Order: sequence, then structure tokens, then C-alpha cells
Amino acid sequence: MAKERIQRINGEWGRPEIVESKEGQLAMVIDLRRCIGCHSCSIACKQENQVPLTFYRSWVKQMEKGTYPLVSTFNLPRLCNQCEKPVCVTVCPVTATFKREDGITLVDSRVCVGCKACIAACPYDARFVNPKKGTKYFGRGTADKCTFCAHRVDGGAKPACVLACPTKARYFGDLEDPNSEVSRIIAKNPVQTIKPHLGTEPHVFYIDASSEIMGRMEMKPRLGRVEGHGGGDSGEHGEE
Amino acid sequence: MSIKITRRDFLKLTAAAVGTVAIGDVASAAVDCDDCHKLAAVPARKQPHQWIPSYCNMCGGMSGIHIDILPNEITGETMVMKVGPNPYNPTGVSNNSKDYFDNIGEGSALCARGNAAVELLYDPDRLQKPMRRTNPAKGRGVEPKFEEITWPEAIAEISEKLGTLKAAGESHKLVWFADGQNYKHLQEDFCNLYGTPNHFQYNQNSDSARKAALKISMGEENAMLDAVESKYILLFGSNPLSSIKHGYEVRTIIRGIENGARLIVVDPYLSFTATKAHEWLPIKPGTDGAFALAMAHVIIKEGLFDEEFIDHWTLGFNDFANFVKDKTPQWAEDITGLSKEIITHTARELALTKPAAIDIGAGVTQHSNAVQTGRAIAALAALTGQIDRRGTIVFPNMGGLARQDVSYDDITEPSLDGDYPFADNSYIGALDAITTGKPYKPKIGVVMGENVVMSTPGTNEVVNALKALEFLVVVGTHINETSELADIVLPATTQFESYDLNENYITWPSVALRQPAIEPLFNQMTEYETIIALGENLKLKTSDGEEFFKGLDYLEYLEAELKNGPSGLSIAELQKLDGAVWTDKVNGTSYEKYRQKVVAPSGSQVDSDGVLHDSNGNAIGVTVWDTFYNGFDTKSRKFEFVSEHLEDLNDANGKMINKMPVYTPVEAIPSWDYPLYLINWHESAHYSVNTQNNVYLNELKWDNPVAIHPKTAEKLNIKTGDKIEVESEYGKASMLALLTDRIRPDTVGWMHGFGHWRMGDVADGKGANVYDVVPMKAEAITGNQMSKEAVVDIRKE
Repeated sequence: MAKERIQRINGEWGRPEIVESKEGQLAMVIDLRRCIGCHSCSIACKQENQVPLTFYRSWVKQMEKGTYPLVSTFNLPRLCNQCEKPVCVTVCPVTATFKREDGITLVDSRVCVGCKACIAACPYDARFVNPKKGTKYFGRGTADKCTFCAHRVDGGAKPACVLACPTKARYFGDLEDPNSEVSRIIAKNPVQTIKPHLGTEPHVFYIDASSEIMGRMEMKPRLGRVEGHGGGDSGEHGEE
Repeated sequence: MSIKITRRDFLKLTAAAVGTVAIGDVASAAVDCDDCHKLAAVPARKQPHQWIPSYCNMCGGMSGIHIDILPNEITGETMVMKVGPNPYNPTGVSNNSKDYFDNIGEGSALCARGNAAVELLYDPDRLQKPMRRTNPAKGRGVEPKFEEITWPEAIAEISEKLGTLKAAGESHKLVWFADGQNYKHLQEDFCNLYGTPNHFQYNQNSDSARKAALKISMGEENAMLDAVESKYILLFGSNPLSSIKHGYEVRTIIRGIENGARLIVVDPYLSFTATKAHEWLPIKPGTDGAFALAMAHVIIKEGLFDEEFIDHWTLGFNDFANFVKDKTPQWAEDITGLSKEIITHTARELALTKPAAIDIGAGVTQHSNAVQTGRAIAALAALTGQIDRRGTIVFPNMGGLARQDVSYDDITEPSLDGDYPFADNSYIGALDAITTGKPYKPKIGVVMGENVVMSTPGTNEVVNALKALEFLVVVGTHINETSELADIVLPATTQFESYDLNENYITWPSVALRQPAIEPLFNQMTEYETIIALGENLKLKTSDGEEFFKGLDYLEYLEAELKNGPSGLSIAELQKLDGAVWTDKVNGTSYEKYRQKVVAPSGSQVDSDGVLHDSNGNAIGVTVWDTFYNGFDTKSRKFEFVSEHLEDLNDANGKMINKMPVYTPVEAIPSWDYPLYLINWHESAHYSVNTQNNVYLNELKWDNPVAIHPKTAEKLNIKTGDKIEVESEYGKASMLALLTDRIRPDTVGWMHGFGHWRMGDVADGKGANVYDVVPMKAEAITGNQMSKEAVVDIRKE
């Protein structure tokens, strides 16, 4: 099905460089023991992918826990989970969202009609309407999200957030390759995913994630807003 | 007056690196990184991108960057597309040479500000042309009514003013404020040749109390943490994980923790460094000195000190031991608000865990008792013998540039901050002199790359001082609150548009090259071209009578510094090295330099204290076990618990400096009218007052609400999001409240840097200015600004 879909897109719109990929399963591991909540990843992603203002493909959720003086803060870098069973692909009425052979789920903005079904369906709030993307046929404003920097990955480079991370908290690689960095890290450490009970099987894994910060992942329709960046929302204020 | 502006020849050196390179050729370009090679082959990128290695200038940290540029084949113009970390530059990897060479493959750090730098370059609010003021009235918020002038006009007018001042024999009345990180030596040379002692650098100014404390006690003002090798890191008022100045700080501290180090942070606010710590000790602001003395009491009383180190390498231990005899944990408990159990436990843990690294940050140094507190904390390092050893606070062997001597006529007039015995670039010393006229009143001011009004406490006082200058020139990327008072403003360049060299702030010699990725966007002169043009017009002469600036090429100036340094490279050679950075591969991080033997040169003498003096009378070594050793670079060549020579000096208030590291309460103590301490801090999203107009960074953090403890807020019926007024004896500001458990109940605090009113559309009117509430006061020994010292009252508006 995926192959047919790719062929159709190639034939019609021609973007072989993005839809064709190596086989495998790309994944990211984020070691929260190293994360200092500096937002370097958020900005690196923005400038790499030209994400418009007020939107983030990659961001850091921050949370405060405890009472003085036994208090701490937690960081949770967020991005598209690149699920094994992506709900967004299932719900897309025009099959604009598709999964590549290497496990990256992408949106073809030339096919997307901007119906927002995927945005509503995504349990991770990872998608938004990008007002700059789209075509003259269907108009601007198509669904957008983290692509694991597919364009960089295809060239053999790591995603921008992985490269920029000051403490090197992010690991990236192919899960199916037992010698890859991510495979070795996952083999050695207990890892968590966000909302595992939904059965989406995310490929973004966290080390040392507190259940509090994972548990507060409520589904809120907040288009154009990013978790952790709401102005007066105590505890979620995007401050350090 | 005739003027000559040399046309910059930017591409002179970069021709090879920046010329149009087709996709296939990128791999052969000398300046590149592995990641870039791979990216060159990315099919999605249809045009040939190139990567220029350079270093950042978003703060004073100067971490390495790779600039991704895209030449437009149609217009011929080059666009800067993005910025990424430069994996070869040690500033982003480690300050420890072993760690750097072992783990260079892990990649380099670049913080959010560095990543957002492109938005500074293409900021629509950037100043593009020189401007002249037409409104004679100056003041805060007064529209300057700038009119555009040409570069030759601007240079001519500034030259004329400076020439008149010099001709009148008043050249010392020029006061020069610099950022202290860019074109540093050229600015110093200009001031020396012009004949003014008043050259002040911001980077030094906010750090001078730490330097003085470390210099007095251990003789090395730039001592830095060797965190990656440490097993115990104790930070007093220091917040490296969210201020992220040098990229390696975050990486080495996190690696240190992974290698088994314990991190203890003493800070009234749970900073992001404190969240990563094993223990957060929420101390009452400004009482760190009492905490350190009580720790010393415990260590000495329980015999946990390093006897060998103290016997041979320190001075005044017995006096110090007597001095701390009554500084019990019980005594400190009442002062610091930390229990005596915590104090005892921390002292024991520090003394029993080695190697231990202790450092002080702005939370300590921006108080009135900063220097003595710093000495008390340094004494902890000496008691446990944790100085300049592996994994402790180590003495760097920086270098890479050989500062070229320029002979200039002696300047007889005192510097404006001369009242401070350990003055090091005190902005406040200079600003005070403008207001009070003592020792004399400067007439002309030049501000280069700095926003003095916003970055110095007591904003209104600073404005009043600067507007009293007869003529003020401000060079900056934006029109800002300081340029508002200027008579002439000149557009500055960013890190993408100019050349410079930087000695990396690490523990072994290393130099990085900054090179332009594009030509100056508005065809503006770079800062160095401006300085050289001024110097040329003024015909500034060295004491040999030679016109120094005549035909001076900044690249040749830099090349002389580089070539005569340890690398011996030319700039073109440096440019071809990986990442355009040179690191010494032979002389790495070294430890225990105080234990190096010294051979007594001819004509040297040993005084009664065993200090070896060379024929010029300089102390060069110390006698230990009947042999000469290097020792520490203090008066006695030993670590000084007690510094007798301080008693010969008076601080700016005319008081004798105590030879003991005494604890004195801070000047601002909560009272009935002003019951709360006010502190402020830096966060990773912004650097000081410089980045608030950056759209990406503004989006991360656009506001600085006042952090209030919920119990305090409850009494005042304040909720998160309420508009509140913060008032001190000095002034007031209104802000939103943020209830958080991250701060002491007797303290409120906010992030520094907001409250701009004339920087640009993005920054203006957002947040509040901390320095509207904190008065313009300096610490009396060094002139360090006292940004953390204020007490306030808060109320709902």
C-alpha cells in the first residue's frame, strides 16, 4: 500500500527525494537526565525547517513539581513520535500523510487538503496547520509536523535537534540495526514512551521520564499554541 | 578635515572558501565538517550550500559555529540560511583537553541563542545607516529625531569632536564603553594612543569581584571548574546550566554528574542548574559568606582539612582557624536560613569527597560583601586542598594570541574608577564620575556593542549620567535605550559580517577565527574599520612618533597577534584548519602548577618569608622544603587565608579592607517598608539585554513575571497572572506575578533583560526592567555592579 502510494505521488507530483527511503526503523532516544531545558532543539528545528512563528515542530514541555524546599522542575522535549501505528495516517481522507520505509511519517503538502482530521486524531498534539505550506490548487494551510529532518537523514546527517543539543541528550539511529547508537542505548537503559496504552507504539523513547510529566499529556485542542508556552499557566510557563 | 574610508576587501581572504562551489566540490572545500559533507549530497537541497566555520557572538561565550550560506545564482547575493555547532571548537565541547580530544566525536554544543542568530542578522529593526540627533533635549523616552547622514559625514563629525578634545589636552575625558569580547585589543590600543585611561569592558565589569577574590586568595583570576573530572561540584550563586555562556560548561557538568559527581547548588532560587543538582540549598540572599565560614569551622574542628597542602602551600591558617572558631553552624543557621545540620553535612561531604570543585557566580559577586565572601569560599577550596588539581577549580593556561605591544605616551590622569582598589572595568565608577565630576568629568562617550542603560543597575541614574556627556557616540546593531541618548549612532556588524580572533576560554591554548559569511548587509563599516578610520583622521601616534592607524589593515593586525603566538599560523592557515580553530595538541590541561620547581635566576633574592624575588623585585617563587617552587601568584606566593597587605588599602567608601575573609551583612536588609529581597537571574533563552528583539527567542520567552512563593502571595492575595507593582526605595516597576515554589518565601525575583522601550518592535514594552528597581551602586572593593542587592515591597495593582 505504501509503495503504491509512493508511486502515485511520484507519478503525479514528483518528490522522489522525500518519499523514497532506505528500509529500517528510525528512532530517537532522549536522555532526560541530560536535558537541561535550554530550548536549543526548539530553535535549531525552527531555523532548519523554516517553521513559521508561533508554531513548533519540536519543543520542550516544562513542569514544576513539589513544594518548597523539596521542589524540582522537569523537562520533556517533544516532537512527533513517528508511531509504528500512526493514527494520523489512518484518518487522512486523501492519504496525504504516509509512512516511509524507514518509519518516518510525512505529510505531502501538495496532497493535503487542510481538513485537520490528523490534528484532531494525533494523541500527542504534534501537528499543526502550517499557514505557509500548501499549493495553489488547494490553498495554503496544510498539516505539518516534525519529519525527523527527513531531508537531512536522507543525506546521512542527523536531525537538527540532535546536532544542536548542548548536552547531547538525543540519540538518533536505526532500531533495526543492532549496532546503532539507539539500539545500544535502548538495550542498556529502561525507556519510556508517551501514552503507551494507546497502542501507537511511538519511536521516540525517553530515559528517566517522570510519570508526572508524561501523565499530564492531556488532549487539548490548542491550535497554534504549544504546550509549555502558555502565558499565565502556572507550572507550564515556558521559563527556566 | 579630510577623511579616508578604505573599502573593505572582505573576500580577499575568503575567496577560496566562499567562492561559488558546486555540489560536488563542497567535499573538497577545506572548511567543512562531517555533517556538512553529508548534507552537501542531500537531494532535497537543490542549490549548493556552503558552510563557513566561525564563532558566535550572541553572548560573550564565543562558542564555535558553522554558518550555512546559500549563494543566489541570479542576484549574486549570499543568504545566511542557518547556524549549527562547530564540532571542532573546544568552547562547545570541553575545557579539559583530555575530554576534548577523547570525545570530540560526540559533537559540540550550541544554545538556543546561538541557533537563533540568523534572526539577529535579518532583524528588520536593525540600524542601517549612520544617524545624527536633531533633538537637543535628551532623556529617557525622549524622541531623538535622528536624521540619516552618510558614513563620511559621521566619521568626520566624530573625528572633529575627538580632535578638539585631544587638542585641548583633555584626551582623558573620553570614556569608552566596550562589550569586552570583540575587537578588544584594537579598542584598547585606540584608547591608549588617544590618551585616555577610561576604557571599560562589560564582560569584565560584571565579574570583577570574583576575579578579585580569587586573585587575592589564590592568585588566578580566571580559575575555572574542571567539572568533567570532578566528584563533587559545589556552586555558590552560579547558574551555568541556564546562562550557558560557554557551551562546554553544560556538557562538562552533565558529564561530571554521569561520572559520579555530586552537584550542590547554593542559591535562593531553584535555577535550572539547581534542578539538576543532587541538593539545592536555598540560602538567604547575600549570606553565602557566613555559610562558607561555618563550613570552614566544621572542617577545621573535625580535622578534615588537607594538612600537607595547608602546611606547605598556604599562609595564615592558624589565624584563620582562630577566626572561624566562633563561626559555628548554629551562628550561620540564624544568618543563612539553612539548618546547622545541612551546614555540617555539606562541610563533611565536601571535605571527604575528592576531587571537589568549588565555584562562585553572580549570585555572590553582585552583592556588597562579594569579595570577602569570595575569599571565604576560596578558603574552603584551600582547606580541602582542592585547588589546581584534577577535577577541582583549575588554573587555565589560555593563550594562542600574542598581544602586540604598541608604545604610547604615559597617561598621567587617573582612571575614573580609580577609587576602587581592585577596579576592573567598573562601568559604575565611570558613570558616577560623570554625575559627580570626581575625579573629573568626562566629556565624550563612545559605546561600542553594549547597551549601558539597560545593563547597568539604576537605569534612571545611568540615563542622567550619559545625557550629561557633551557628545555621545553609540555603535550598535539596533537603536536601543543607550543610542536614544546618542548624538551620533553608527550601525554595527554581527558575527556574520566581520573578522576577529578569539582565545578560547578553556584550560589550554586555543584560538578561533571569526570570518564573514556575507558582506555587511547595509554596506556599513565594521567596528574595526570605524576605529581605524577615526585613528587615521586623528593622526594618533605611538611614542615613537609613528602614525599607528595610517593604512592599518585589521587582518594584518590580527595576523601579527596570531603569528607571534604559540600556533605560529597565518590567518589563511588558521582558516584552513578544521573548524577554523587551532588547539594546542601538545600542551594540554595541566595541573598542580604551583608544585613546579623554579630555578632562581641571577640577581634574585629570597626575603625573610621565603619568597623568591627576581632582580626587578617581582615575586616569582616560594621556598618549600628548601627548594624554590612556583607557588601561587599572590603577594606571598602561597594561598592566602589571611592577606595582611589588604589592610594597607581603603575601599571606595574609605574603609580599610579587612585582612580576614569576614562576613558582613549585605546593605539591603528587609525592613517593615520593604520586606522582601529582590534577586534576578539569566535564562538560556536570552543573553543579558541584547537578544530580546530576536523573534525566535522572544517567542520562547517574551516576558519576565515576578516569581513569588505561594505563601508570600497568599498573604497579599496575589495569584498567578495578577498585575503587581514592585517597589523599592529607589524606584518601581509593574509586572505580572508567577507563583512558584522555586523561590524562598522571603525573596522575590525575576529574569533580567526585559523592559525595553526603544530596541525594536519585538522587544519593546514586554516585561519589566529589573534595574528600574535596583539602584546604581557598586561593590566598594572592585566596582562590580550590585545587581542583586535590593529590598522591595510588592502589592497588587
